[in-house]
Amino acid sequence: MEEDFMPRIIGFLCKWCTYAGADLAGVSRIQYPPSILPIRVMCSSRVDPLFVISSFLRGADAVLVAGCHPGDCHYQRGNYYTRRRYAVLRKIFEELGLEADRLRLSWISASEGRRFADVITDYTERIKKKGPNPVKKEVFL
Amino acid sequence: MAKFLELDKGTEAGIRELLGQSLRNGQVKAVFALRRTTNGAVNYSLITDPQMMEEAVPLFPSMPSNAGQLLSRLTLKGPVEGPVAVVVRPCELRALVELVKREQGSLEGFLFISFTCPGVYPLKASANGEIEGKQTQYWEAVKSGKVVPEIRPTCRACEHFIPYNADITISLVGNKDVDKRCILFLNTAKGAELVKGVGGKLSEGELETAELHAHREERLAEKKSLYDQGQLSGLGMDGLIEIFSRCIGCRGCRSACPICYCNLCTFDSFDYEYEPSTYEEELKKRGGVRIPPNTIFYHLGRLTHVGISCVGCGSCTDVCPVDIPLSAIFLQVGEAVQKIFDYIPGKDVEEDVPLATFEEVELTEIEE
Amino acid sequence: MSDPKKEGEGLKGAAFSGGKSSLETVLGFLKRTLAEGCFDALLLPVKAPGGDSFPYVLVQDKALLEDRGSPLPPIMPVQGGKAVSSLTRRGKAPRKVAALMRPCEVRATIELFKLAQVDLENIFLISIDCPGVLPVKDFAADPEKGMAAFGEVLEKWGDRKVRPVCQICHRFTAPLSDDGAGMVVDLHIGLLGIEDGEVLLIPYSPAGEEILAKLDLVPAAGGDILSAWRDRANELTKKRGEERRRAQEEMKSKVRGLNNLLETFDKCINCHNCMRVCPVCYCRLCYFDSEAVKHPPDDYLRRAGDWGSIRFLPDTILFQVGRMSHMSLSCVSCGTCEDACPMDIPVAQVFSLVADEAQEYFGYLPGRSTDEPIPLATYKEEELEEVEDAPQGASSETKEKDG
Repeated sequence: MEEDFMPRIIGFLCKWCTYAGADLAGVSRIQYPPSILPIRVMCSSRVDPLFVISSFLRGADAVLVAGCHPGDCHYQRGNYYTRRRYAVLRKIFEELGLEADRLRLSWISASEGRRFADVITDYTERIKKKGPNPVKKEVFL
Repeated sequence: MAKFLELDKGTEAGIRELLGQSLRNGQVKAVFALRRTTNGAVNYSLITDPQMMEEAVPLFPSMPSNAGQLLSRLTLKGPVEGPVAVVVRPCELRALVELVKREQGSLEGFLFISFTCPGVYPLKASANGEIEGKQTQYWEAVKSGKVVPEIRPTCRACEHFIPYNADITISLVGNKDVDKRCILFLNTAKGAELVKGVGGKLSEGELETAELHAHREERLAEKKSLYDQGQLSGLGMDGLIEIFSRCIGCRGCRSACPICYCNLCTFDSFDYEYEPSTYEEELKKRGGVRIPPNTIFYHLGRLTHVGISCVGCGSCTDVCPVDIPLSAIFLQVGEAVQKIFDYIPGKDVEEDVPLATFEEVELTEIEE
Repeated sequence: MSDPKKEGEGLKGAAFSGGKSSLETVLGFLKRTLAEGCFDALLLPVKAPGGDSFPYVLVQDKALLEDRGSPLPPIMPVQGGKAVSSLTRRGKAPRKVAALMRPCEVRATIELFKLAQVDLENIFLISIDCPGVLPVKDFAADPEKGMAAFGEVLEKWGDRKVRPVCQICHRFTAPLSDDGAGMVVDLHIGLLGIEDGEVLLIPYSPAGEEILAKLDLVPAAGGDILSAWRDRANELTKKRGEERRRAQEEMKSKVRGLNNLLETFDKCINCHNCMRVCPVCYCRLCYFDSEAVKHPPDDYLRRAGDWGSIRFLPDTILFQVGRMSHMSLSCVSCGTCEDACPMDIPVAQVFSLVADEAQEYFGYLPGRSTDEPIPLATYKEEELEEVEDAPQGASSETKEKDG
């Protein structure tokens, strides 16, 4: 059964870098697992930590927040804020014993189609090993 | 060495007299402090009549609301044309500072009087009138420099009991003569100005005595045991569900939280209401959906929004009708989050809230 | 859904049994409705994993219903009206849902329907005889003791352990007589005066009759069980009505007049928990939390100057009386406000007192009918002349006459 399990990963992808990187992976016909459900955001800093928590509680097996490399933000500083927010969110997950390894922050530029495919492949493999997110069966959230 | 003034009377009486006189001679326009109403309840009040200072009980061991929240309300539309003297606890002052950083108030025009805080009793004790009977026990413990029994868990575990931004700091914890002598440390020129003409003896000394250090050690030990008790890292989702399933959704924790200042919380907004189709999906997934939904989401979400500025005041637990140990969770998780940035909320008004600033090179370990 | 039947117009009931206790029987009935496809899901209180609470859960999973379904839990952590509103505020329920609630929760649901906060289209309302609930605070402090205490409550049906407003509740069952004390409901489950293990299923609408027919249950008019239930319920209703009047008279002497009001709400810390748990207070952003009540510092200082001192925050009485004026016509005396008050102010006792008088003044009863408009949402061209130019106010005159 574990073999059949294809994780569902909610990806919040910045329009300028990572989303374009995903596009490049596509047009370059680079293969990666069909696990990612991309949501395009104008900047990774648009991602309120609540989006991530909500995805996690509603049953996503994993969440990816991805944007431009530090220093390359289309809006100059957005991803620096993202990084701090993500650090806080991750710490909260760790402190409460929640599965922080179902969260991931990655910087992927528009030219890194290969890297996008690699990140998705690697993340998918890890989550496959972990199995489905048990939270999706919880009634009393 | 710091300057302090010693008045030859009980501490609370000394404060009352100082502030009454300041009102009388126009040094301050108003006093903000706890006051006992004719019916016996103790609430924060804005006092302008020196006569009314008689009813003030600035050191009463109860926190009906975090005064930081109230002072933010007072100055939300602009600074007070003061001076207004306020007597508040260190965590209340810290909360106000956090709110000022969020443009929800102003420090201008205030003269801050605070004290080495022995903590307060839970609101429950105030609701059923128990505090009056505990006063002797409270002040005896204060004199001895020991942690007062039966105060709120977060107060027992509080290491920030010495105020950061006070113009005047009243010595309480470990002051053996608290009922005979009023000792006021004058931290700023404003503070020194206020006490002019009130008499007493001006001396020099240290606020942070060895006794206070020992007291801090005791509080730190209490904190450790609070954390050990909580076993947060072992909670996981099942543990969280167990803790929060009794939540009745009153949102009292949010309204009592000084840091939660939003007019309309996102969790009350249209955005997080479920559509019928969402219920349908969730039902299919789980076989059952708790209604109203989003209890865990709300508490986790609030942690991400306010954890960085949580001053550990304990108001959330105080107002929780079903005794969820919120403040223990928020204190511990908040502290962990604050540590990432070496941030002590409310310590320095010039220091940005970490989430509103950044450094270009940092936190690389969390990527990937 | 139609308005309730009157006594003598053929109230019918079907006995149902099968469980060791009545509540187990109720659960058995619910399971059957789900199995026979009467409904796609049930909305009812379900025992939480910690065993210390009973939140509402929309249930489809039969095992969940069997293991944790709690048709009559010892506490009311969330008012059922609020749960139905949460489910249908954005549109009708996705499927056919039966909601099992206490009578005051059903009545709140109807009020919320009138306030356009509930869509009843796919909702089948089931009420159940209610012995009252324990204060949520007491239960949270010791759930085990609470469960034992509620066992006694169920046995005695009128125990002092239940909340003060529950002790004087006279609308704890389905409508019995034609005194106008009705309630919109599809099916009522009677427990009173009936042997343990058995329950009475009384349809109050065509939909209710349909469901029973689908389950091959034939409700009969008359019969021993029906009359036993009706006698006991009538008797208790009368008794509670008297107790209510007595308790309210007593409360009135404590709260009437500004000074008494001030004293009553003296401890209020402005947390607004009462407003947030109130099923009728549905506003997303309450006026009393809005910008409108946030004033410049000068205003506060001036007010302090006028009085020598003001409470801060001020306007506690404005909030309390303001909230009364907003919601008391629809108040169902459910008591959740008092449950949620961290300062143990008798909020529900005061509010239900005011509500009773306000409702009586307009001859209105919340939850009685879906067609009857809330009095403040309608008018007659000629009415209430007595309040015009009346220096004392008409209602205070009436009260003095009554008292």
